[in-house]
Amino acid sequence: MTNGGSPSFLEMRGIVKKFPGVIANDEVDLKVKKGEIHGLLGENGAGKSTLMKILYGLYTKDGGEIVLDGEQIDLESPQQAINAGIGMVHQHFMLIPKLTVTQNVILGKREASNTLTAGKEGSSGVLKSLGEMFSIDRKGPQERIKGLSDDYGFGIDPTEPVWQLEVGEQQRVEILKALYRDVDLLILDEPTAVLTPNEASKLFETLEELADDGLSIIFITHKLYEAKEITDRVTILRDGKHIDTVDTADMTEADLAERMVGHEVLFDLDKSEVAKGDVKMRADNLHALDERGLPAVEGIDLEIKSGEIVGIAGVSGNGQKELAECLVGVRDIEEGTISVNDRDLTNKHPRKFIEEGVSFIPEDRLKYGLAPELSVMHNAGVKEYRKKRFQSGPFLDYDELEAYANEIIDKYDVRGISDARKMQSGDLSGGNMQKLIVGRESYRNPDVLIANQPTRGVDVGAIEDIRRNLLAQREKGMGILLVSEDLDEVLDMSDRILVVYEGEVVHETTPEETNKQEIGLKMTGGGSTEDSEGAVATDGGQTSKTEALPTNQDADNSNGGER
Amino acid sequence: MNIDVDFTARQEVPRWLAYGSSVFTILAALLVGAVALVTLNVNPLDAYQVMFVQQLTGLTGISNVLEKSTPLILAGLAVYIPLRAGLWNIGATGQIYIGAIIGTWIGINVTAPSFVLLILMFLGAALGGMVWGFIPGYLRAKWGVNEIITSLLISYAAIEINGYMVRGPMQGGAGNFPVSAVLPSGAQLPEIPIIESHIGILIALLFAVIVYVVVQKTNVGYEITFTGSNPDAARQAGMNSFYIYVMVFVAAGALAGMAGLIEIAGVQDRLRPDFSPGYGFTAIVVALLGRGNAFKVVLAALFFGLLLVGGTSLEVAYTVPSALVEVIQALVILFLITAEFLKSYKVDIDFTMGESKPNPTASAEEGV
Repeated sequence: MTNGGSPSFLEMRGIVKKFPGVIANDEVDLKVKKGEIHGLLGENGAGKSTLMKILYGLYTKDGGEIVLDGEQIDLESPQQAINAGIGMVHQHFMLIPKLTVTQNVILGKREASNTLTAGKEGSSGVLKSLGEMFSIDRKGPQERIKGLSDDYGFGIDPTEPVWQLEVGEQQRVEILKALYRDVDLLILDEPTAVLTPNEASKLFETLEELADDGLSIIFITHKLYEAKEITDRVTILRDGKHIDTVDTADMTEADLAERMVGHEVLFDLDKSEVAKGDVKMRADNLHALDERGLPAVEGIDLEIKSGEIVGIAGVSGNGQKELAECLVGVRDIEEGTISVNDRDLTNKHPRKFIEEGVSFIPEDRLKYGLAPELSVMHNAGVKEYRKKRFQSGPFLDYDELEAYANEIIDKYDVRGISDARKMQSGDLSGGNMQKLIVGRESYRNPDVLIANQPTRGVDVGAIEDIRRNLLAQREKGMGILLVSEDLDEVLDMSDRILVVYEGEVVHETTPEETNKQEIGLKMTGGGSTEDSEGAVATDGGQTSKTEALPTNQDADNSNGGER
Repeated sequence: MNIDVDFTARQEVPRWLAYGSSVFTILAALLVGAVALVTLNVNPLDAYQVMFVQQLTGLTGISNVLEKSTPLILAGLAVYIPLRAGLWNIGATGQIYIGAIIGTWIGINVTAPSFVLLILMFLGAALGGMVWGFIPGYLRAKWGVNEIITSLLISYAAIEINGYMVRGPMQGGAGNFPVSAVLPSGAQLPEIPIIESHIGILIALLFAVIVYVVVQKTNVGYEITFTGSNPDAARQAGMNSFYIYVMVFVAAGALAGMAGLIEIAGVQDRLRPDFSPGYGFTAIVVALLGRGNAFKVVLAALFFGLLLVGGTSLEVAYTVPSALVEVIQALVILFLITAEFLKSYKVDIDFTMGESKPNPTASAEEGV
């Protein structure tokens, strides 16, 4: 897909956007060709999202110009952007769970129902104009949505309510929303952040198909291998500035990383040998339910020793989240026991776990990790404020709490904070929020750290910092449970690997004894090797191999055809 | 010609604006109110002089304002504390009535030296309010029952109980009026010398200080604030939202219960049906305006006290319809709420010739 000399379809020239104290975009240029998948690469806070929000009319620019298809445009609202042919799929979906796919797609783009408007000859004009004003046609759009969905193999039933869809499907609904509005340019903001590896590769196929049909796509990411895999060209931003625009094919991941971070990035981690100590946490025969009251954890046994990283690999939704929550007391367990340092903590309050030296990095930092509206100080001290150090008589010593926050900020290199007491934690960039949480959970020197996707959705630099920090804690004798959907991370970091599938540990191994393929197979339920290899071959594709497994087919088998 | 209005979120509120906006908007509201006054042939300057200046320059005016503000301060705090924890106490009204009933009953039926009796009355009123607060608080904490609905509905029960008490068990005094017996003088709140207002205002201020200190300076306040901001993260951090939800509602009930008693023992001297002129609901606006901290709640309550007293004076002095007074009060509230909005958003108004453009969404996400 090389369209070397073809003129740009979109040109953003010298875009400037200033926020108080920060220049988010400093004379940024971006040129996207017709039918191209164009990567927008940069660390968290590099200005990618700001640039795209300007393009989508969410922010007004302070300088520069936007030319779309030869015409200079001035966007002041998403509606104008959509009218101009620009669509955006946000990282956090803008869907209404209770409504059906069709209702979500046509939201804001009502068409009057035919039955009322087309009406018979004699029907009154009043009724007709009322019909035009207030009626909604469901049938026509529904068919068109179905058509679009079938064309691109989305496999989405337009009548299904959105809450029943899986994350990957919801994202496809977002794409449908844009396609339904006939956009020529589609912006995807870190679309894979919420997807499993298989859903991601399915998305990539779709995007390539769309690009072949002439749609221009801007793909925001900070994951190098994604940029490498999917994009034709990449524009790299750093600190709000345009660094380079390159043909992806000419670049290695290391080249891209260097441009993105500004210095060479070491992908290899030094993992030293650490002597394993006593068992810090032990769980026996754990059973727990998920939010809907269905079994999520079904009989997991687990031991975490001092100085050990136990990796949990699995496709998202196989009980990892619930397991992690059980191990820190946030989720009640139905059956089984948990003990920390040989003290029984089964179904004790989370505070008991904290006091016993258990720390937790939750997977969703904004929902479970932080109170975004409160200050960095409030958030930094939330696990320790009960300690004597912060008590002065009957009062909580906020000065001491602020000092503590600053210690964490310094030690874990959390950036972008001038005043820990005043700055809201929600105003930090994603990577820095995560560093703050990792710092908060590590700085108190816990015995056990339960880390659920600690590096998800953060940039390369922060990933490096966070991984390094976990390894350092391990050397100090902390026992770590690392839940991750990034198999490389699990393999690089772990001493032992447990593969979970449908709430059970189906495989236990070590990084030395295994490889990515084997784990990938095990975590998609590939039980005995022969069978599943056969299945892969017959299915003929990596994506369909795993796609089928955690969804309908298996649910039918195990739950007796519940759907 | 078209007018193009553009809202952008402010990252920081300029200092002059933080303080200036309230003054500014109140003046603007009065300007609009003046139009209505002029149409009724009332000189707005004179009217406002009566409504505001006169109240604040005379002893009677000040005393009246303080007496009206006192229940508003306590009831405002009773809405403010649950609000900090992310809950809505719409039921301050009910807590006020129950507090008044129990406090008055003790005042009438218990014989003790005045000082002891008053303390007993306050304890009783607080306890009654606590029970009324506990119910929605517990239901919310234990089963997630919406506290807005329960606290509101249970208020009507309290109002009806009060109506029953003054017509039945507690009916007293001459004739068959639906009122209780008059509180003995030992059970009435003593006056503060010089300003000739009862000591309720001191009690209210004392509790405002206590609430301020608890919320801003203690572990409990930290937990309330954190739970209110993100209950999921609070639980994960080992906080006990059950305890916090129950506690804020119980504390709210105690404060509102005392507000009810102060209104009876300080102003009305006997229990009457529907004795509260909407204190419980005005308290919600007071708490919203004074959301920042307990002292701001006090300021908001004083301001509303002034509006209430000034409005009555205006009615009497110029025989303007009471509806007009309510219009002016409402204008002031509306303008103040607008000011809150203007503090957080910058507004650019463009006068342009040409096509009209829709406004970009004001709530555009911040940050990157």
